[in-house]
Amino acid sequence: MHILRDPFTLALALGLPVMLVTFFGYAIDFEVKDIKIAVSDRDLGPAARRLKEIFSTSGYFSLVPQAAVSGPVEMLDSGRASAALFIEPDFSKKLKGGGKAEVQFVLDGSDNSKAAAVMGYLPGIQRAAMAKLAVQAAPEPFSAETRFLYNSELNSRWFTVPGLAAIIIGLLAILLTALTVAREWENGSMELLLSTPVRPLEIMAGKLAPYGILVLAGVFFVYLVSRLVFGVPFAGSHMLYLAACLLFITAALSQGLVISVITRQQQVAMQLGMITGLLPSMLLSGFIFPVESMPKFFQYLTMLLPPRWFMAAARGITLKGADLGELAVPFLALGLLSAGMLALALVKFKTDLEP
Amino acid sequence: MNRTLQAFIRKELVQTLRDVRMRALLFGAPIIQMTIFGLALSTEIKNIKLAAFSQAGDAMFERVTEGFYASGWFARVVYTPGADPFELIASGRADAVLIAPAGGLRRSAERGGGKMQLLVDASNATKARAVEAYAKNIISAAAVREYGARGEPALKFDVRVLYNPAMESSMFLVPGVMGMLVCLITIILTAMSLTREREMGTFETIVSAPLSNTEVLLGKTVPYILLGLVDAALVVTAGYLIFGVPVRGPLWQLALASLVFVVNTVSIGTFISTVSKNQQQAMLGGFMFLFPAILMSGVMYPVENMPKAVIAVAYLDPLMYFVRLLRNIMLKGGDTQVFWTNLGALALMAVFAAGFAYKRFRQTLN
Repeated sequence: MHILRDPFTLALALGLPVMLVTFFGYAIDFEVKDIKIAVSDRDLGPAARRLKEIFSTSGYFSLVPQAAVSGPVEMLDSGRASAALFIEPDFSKKLKGGGKAEVQFVLDGSDNSKAAAVMGYLPGIQRAAMAKLAVQAAPEPFSAETRFLYNSELNSRWFTVPGLAAIIIGLLAILLTALTVAREWENGSMELLLSTPVRPLEIMAGKLAPYGILVLAGVFFVYLVSRLVFGVPFAGSHMLYLAACLLFITAALSQGLVISVITRQQQVAMQLGMITGLLPSMLLSGFIFPVESMPKFFQYLTMLLPPRWFMAAARGITLKGADLGELAVPFLALGLLSAGMLALALVKFKTDLEP
Repeated sequence: MNRTLQAFIRKELVQTLRDVRMRALLFGAPIIQMTIFGLALSTEIKNIKLAAFSQAGDAMFERVTEGFYASGWFARVVYTPGADPFELIASGRADAVLIAPAGGLRRSAERGGGKMQLLVDASNATKARAVEAYAKNIISAAAVREYGARGEPALKFDVRVLYNPAMESSMFLVPGVMGMLVCLITIILTAMSLTREREMGTFETIVSAPLSNTEVLLGKTVPYILLGLVDAALVVTAGYLIFGVPVRGPLWQLALASLVFVVNTVSIGTFISTVSKNQQQAMLGGFMFLFPAILMSGVMYPVENMPKAVIAVAYLDPLMYFVRLLRNIMLKGGDTQVFWTNLGALALMAVFAAGFAYKRFRQTLN
């Protein structure tokens, strides 16, 4: 009742997840493209021209016409280019004579993810260039043919959209409950509630259930958007996904409740909710940075974050079609975390009541 | 500055900092979070679980796989003989499986072009791409070891990385995390401050006090601008001491950029505060600003990756300019043109944001 009276909150809880998932599902693309290269071509020969062509037709790079006044390195300093290519005057001559030629490639290292991606593209460019420049290269004695399972086209939407949904839903759940109990304490209506013959457990349940339903409705809309707008495949069982959602929502709502019970003051509750909710769930959950790449200590520390487990479960169910047996660990962890946090909220709440 | 205003500002600071938990959140949390993110996050993909499938006695293939495990990127997956490679990936026990050609790698290679198969779990597309790139390089290196170099490659790239030659992730992440933390803290503080006064009924007291509208607004914003600046300084110092992230540009650039940015966020927070009826709305309003601002800031993936229409929206994100400024000042030494154009954009936005906040604020007061 309380929630329904506030149409603003209601609209936000239902509309916000859909809006954010749609927008960012479209916006986020981890494939680094359109890397600007400043070229200093002092050769101007046919081989240099072909090398530049290979860069610009690869789909990853675009060549920036060099301004007369500034050199390539100045263009890196000012951020007008992310890489610079230096072709020496005798480049074409050397290659034509069957010799070896070296080109210098300078990268802007102030953006690591971009620099790392460019370094990954270079061997491919090198191979293409050697083939195109008719430098005789023997075929590789052996090589590997790669098959990408579950997402053969490497469509990055398929992996950002479910992750994004997890983060937005988790955060919303934390934020919605973080303020509830704190607000009642601040307004003094908690005393009122306590004087009625309602038990603490019932108060907790009464606080959780409506928000749970609200967030679940949000999940449903997000599901529709990711299937219809982004065409994310759904290989697994819907029931299993629903179960994972329920566990995750309970965990997130309980986390909000713990914050609320501990702080008892809305401003502090919000600071704590944002700090423990927003950045860790974006950065430490495996959404962008894989958990397995972190140092051992942080691999254990992140086990305390519900989004980490939900992320694993959601990706497993939607893309890999995993069954409960394969997802036993994430499910168990989510269950334990929800139960633990609920218990913590309840215990703290009860001790607060005793004078 | 007159005495009433000074007293008002002091009151706001005292009120905010009175609570121990608030002090911890304001000054402790940023440092702890920055340390955690700086240590934990890496743009490099590591510990890729790789299983290798071959018939017994394929010595050359085994040497190739040793190359994988010795590279430091891959971890060995032990499996029972007769296991299904697809099952290993489906269950998440392996991220990738390398399968030798039937009849052994040597025979197949000598017949011309030995083809191994690499199965990669692409449920994380970014990671899959990295795994493939690593594998290709390791396999060509192994081919050179087995069959000798086919002559030095005729075309070589001599790659040099500027500003961060060791490609350390902390250098790149600390400025971004710093921007995010300062943004987060100032927005939340200011978004809640006015609404709380209104909910508690103390707002009327302020209105009836002998202060002009401008003074009330200043009293409600200046303290938070100060707190935001203190946090910025704390995070820069921690980044320098813990991770050795340099400040290569002049300090005044850093201070000025932080000031203009904090004016932006405090104005936006105040605006949210004036339009929300209660603290819950203020919190959701804050979230509605923070979430997009952080995702579009370029901290997690380059801004240029986004579609053109979205980039246009990103140009309205003050955090994007701030992160650019921070990276430019801290890592690149503060190119003057970059500094002034981004600062100019940020200042322009600050003027607008402050103007809007002031207008709404006056309406609320009257």
